[in-house]
Amino acid sequence: MTILYDTQSLLERYLTKLVRNPTLLGTNLVTPVIFLVLFSQLLTKFGEFLPTTSGGYLAYLAPGVIILNAMISAPQGGVSMANDLNSGYLSKMLLTQVRRPAILLGRLVTDMIVAVAESVITIVIAVAMGVTFSSGVPGILLILLTVAFFEFALSGIFLTVGIRTRKTETISAISGLLFFPLIFISSAMFPISFFPSWAQTISNYNPVSYASDVTRELVSGGLDPGTLAAAYVLIGIIAAVTFAATWYQFRKVVS
Amino acid sequence: MGGVRGWATQEIISAENLVVVYQDGTRAVEDITFRIPEGEFFGFLGPNGAGKSTTIKVLTTLLKKTSGKVSIAGFDLDKSPGEIRKAVGVLSQETSLDVDLTGWENLHLQGRLQQMSGKALDDRVAELLKLVQLEDVAKKPAGRYSGGMRKRLDLASALIHRPKLLFLDEPTTGLDTQSRAAIWEYLEGLNRDEGITIFLTTQYLEEADRLCRKLSVIDRGKLIANGTPTELKESVGGDTISLTLKDASLRTKTKEALKAYPGVTNVVDADSGVVAYARNAGQIIAGIITTLDRAGIQPTFLSISSPTLDDVFLRQTGRRIRSDELSRRETEPFLT
Repeated sequence: MTILYDTQSLLERYLTKLVRNPTLLGTNLVTPVIFLVLFSQLLTKFGEFLPTTSGGYLAYLAPGVIILNAMISAPQGGVSMANDLNSGYLSKMLLTQVRRPAILLGRLVTDMIVAVAESVITIVIAVAMGVTFSSGVPGILLILLTVAFFEFALSGIFLTVGIRTRKTETISAISGLLFFPLIFISSAMFPISFFPSWAQTISNYNPVSYASDVTRELVSGGLDPGTLAAAYVLIGIIAAVTFAATWYQFRKVVS
Repeated sequence: MGGVRGWATQEIISAENLVVVYQDGTRAVEDITFRIPEGEFFGFLGPNGAGKSTTIKVLTTLLKKTSGKVSIAGFDLDKSPGEIRKAVGVLSQETSLDVDLTGWENLHLQGRLQQMSGKALDDRVAELLKLVQLEDVAKKPAGRYSGGMRKRLDLASALIHRPKLLFLDEPTTGLDTQSRAAIWEYLEGLNRDEGITIFLTTQYLEEADRLCRKLSVIDRGKLIANGTPTELKESVGGDTISLTLKDASLRTKTKEALKAYPGVTNVVDADSGVVAYARNAGQIIAGIITTLDRAGIQPTFLSISSPTLDDVFLRQTGRRIRSDELSRRETEPFLT
């Protein structure tokens, strides 16, 4: 028996719980779908002002909305951890021989799977609406990897808060607080060139911009290795910091 | 691996000078020492906040002790917590199940976390579902179970890896009489038929009296009495004569009169009256009433009963474990 066995056992637990609560998955999908359908319809004319070559505003918007899935899935792990701490289930797990890191790993993998699954649905809707994914299947796979990696980096914020405060309300408040500025002051929804200079500055440091840009280049078919490298380095740094914080809080609970 | 294998030692639990002080300075457990031989049905009896749960959390590796030496199933608590987790099963006070998973899934997951797999695990799950009589609802989510069913499922999950030692923290608190009786029967069976050593904590006198062969009475982090339930009750010094007084100022006078009466072994304050202990109380009660009457003391309520474990607690601490237990005691009222 290895840590993989324990991680798989817990992954199955978390996924079963999600399948039994389909409302949660449905609610998570509402925002990306509404953004995709509503904004692309309302702002059709906006496409005429875009510097991008083809596909209009929908082609610009879709990659940003795909990245949205990473942000929406990220708080789930923290919520789940807070619930397990409060219900005593975490103590129950700690009384078994389960390898401690598996408790965290199982949760992290679950949320990455959810973010990827919801991105697949978003991609299917986008294709149905007429978006062309010029990089084909390899491009889509790299988009999904980017979503998973970004979700992982963000989830550490909520895991840290969830383990430390044990309050799901705090997690909701923080995710609500971060969501709109991160999404709108980035290149996800609109090109940065339309922003006032202060917002351009923020966007240039916003990881959502980096993840969106990679996805956008993959959709349009011209991925610049520099864009990819910049995004993965930045997300990697965020992931290292948030995972270290999560691990620190988790160690305090399990030891 | 550290220490010797559990079966090689006769004592399955040994705690020496165990002290637990919480970060806020609360002294939850104050220097307690006890040893429990293999196969024992042992209990900690005490009121809420006595240090029972804290002790269980330490013994089961969930909480760090401040000082002392603890060995469980032959393994040192500090050196081999992993080995201890293999050897023990724990039923926590708060029932902890995954309410989204079915009864079967809860047990199966617990088995996997205990490093079981395949047919051996499937068979064990089926066996336990049968034992706790949840076969019919095994495919329903645990969230739809009643309180008693949840407790039974939780008990089954504590047993999944065939522990030789089972810790139960107030296993029947909050359960109805019927569910409580069912849990009692399972526990008696596990101890008798499978030789599982049981360590339980309880605040219920009846539970301690019926189940435990050996008891420690615990209060404010200290062990105040040890022995079999019978030994403990005999230590009280005879039957219990409880008197309720209308006028509290008569308390001292009443106590003096009772103490002087031949056959009375001890007199203590209790709630709104006094409690006297006497051998063969039934034979001397008429004389006691006459004596009190002459002294101008007329109790509003008087009863005789065999001593209970509550009397053990009362004698040691001057308090009852729970006042509502008192009203449930079987009494023979003597109205004056």
